[in-house]
Amino acid sequence: MGVGYTDFMKNSGVSTLALALQAIHAACDDAGISFKQLDGVATHRVGDSVQGAVVLNALGMVDPKFYVDQFGGGSASHTVVGQAAMAVATGVADYVVCWRAINARSEYRMGGTGRPPPDVVEFQYQTPYGYATPPQQFASMASAYMAKYGATREDFGRVAIRQRDNASRNERAMMRTPITMDDYLSSRWIVEPLCLFDCCLETDAAIAVVVTSAERARDLKHTPVLVSGAAWGGGHTLYSNHREDLTTSAAAAMSKRLYAMAGAGPEDIDVGCIYDAFTPLVLVQLEDYGFCAKGEAGAFVAEGTFPFNPHGGHLSAGYVHGINHIAEAVEQLRGNAGARQVAGAEVALSTGQSGYVAGSSSALILRKGEQS
Amino acid sequence: MSDVERLIPYPDRDSVLWWAALARHEFVQQRCDDCGTWRWPPRAMCSGCGSFTWTWQPAAGRGTVISCIRTHHAFLPGFEAPYFTVFVSIDEQADIVMPGTWHHADPPQVGLRVQVFFDDIDVREGAPVTLVGWQPADD
Ligand SMILES: [Zn+2]
Repeated sequence: MGVGYTDFMKNSGVSTLALALQAIHAACDDAGISFKQLDGVATHRVGDSVQGAVVLNALGMVDPKFYVDQFGGGSASHTVVGQAAMAVATGVADYVVCWRAINARSEYRMGGTGRPPPDVVEFQYQTPYGYATPPQQFASMASAYMAKYGATREDFGRVAIRQRDNASRNERAMMRTPITMDDYLSSRWIVEPLCLFDCCLETDAAIAVVVTSAERARDLKHTPVLVSGAAWGGGHTLYSNHREDLTTSAAAAMSKRLYAMAGAGPEDIDVGCIYDAFTPLVLVQLEDYGFCAKGEAGAFVAEGTFPFNPHGGHLSAGYVHGINHIAEAVEQLRGNAGARQVAGAEVALSTGQSGYVAGSSSALILRKGEQS
Repeated sequence: MSDVERLIPYPDRDSVLWWAALARHEFVQQRCDDCGTWRWPPRAMCSGCGSFTWTWQPAAGRGTVISCIRTHHAFLPGFEAPYFTVFVSIDEQADIVMPGTWHHADPPQVGLRVQVFFDDIDVREGAPVTLVGWQPADD
């Protein structure tokens, strides 16, 4: 895999097409290939970014062998890389580039722009109630989680504090100044029970990842990173039948087949890049991916034994809708994560949004490979 | 609450009768004729048994709060923050969770027994629009 980043910015001043092209170019450089070798593309968006077809055209790709332009936000972030891995494994394409490009701060803020948010799912039952934005959706999950398991604001705060501390070692991170529990508890409410520091950063950025076969990857520039498991899951939104318990995510069922495909379990994961649009999501996923029992993630995080989101994540590094977790997992497994490197990382779990909003989720288990 | 630019529901072909019943202050839900499962939002098919036949049936309009939030930032037009939104598991079918506005001086809390409150909002011009609201149950 090759990974390419743009800077994380508050106002990129350029189009999402320009961001996508910059990230794709950087990812090809990182992989040691020419962009002309790309023969497949896979992206996702929620009406907030350039169409895959336009990027294809701008890349001069006249005969793409694989093409995915999926509707979806963070829940779809890991599906496109999983699909790309299937495409190269089955010989459909040789080099598939996956990306997400957003001007989430300067062009398409999720609420707060005065325009209606993108119609993700079932909005007729939400917008008339003044309920449609991600902080509200995840606050509803947080409220149920606190009530059922007695989780506290301090449990959420420890996630925010830890990730900010991690971000202080990441030169790309937008927010690197450490915060204290007092800072956390005194920050303003956004949607109770979530305060400012529970929420991710709205970011202008793009990240791209080049996926190719394990055989080809051995001869490229860096230590290869292998897709060891990929899973898709979900099924029920926050608004449909069959989901009366908001405290368990779609990842609980999905993680079992993900681990089975990878031939691994939670005990084998050296580093976790856990989708963190909001702090309580991290807690629920630590439980649903099997790192601790239900209701115990707050105490598990307080123990501090499991390294997660060493880059600072969406909360403190920048929000690129999940793909920055994949990129971070790749850098960790290559061993070139600099000051934030988790020692001896050989197996990583990277997760997408765990299936609350649009009823879908996705995740990857990645392993360090060997160069030839 | 200022309703001037508030977004109103735009029913689709599945939901138009549900919204129309709500505007008449009738709390009805789809119920499968074959297996008796209640469902919401309105759908053409029962996900339990696959049946395409159903009846709109009155539901009691009672349930239990499973989550509640208080929005402090006016994300959407026409709302004055802070305001509550509650999520209610209805008595007929626990896995139907219905968001609604809150109508009581005391704040909502998880576990509270509630009953429906027909929340008539005046928006723009034309037919009145009714939303699902919730208030503490009187029993
Ligand atoms: Zn049925």
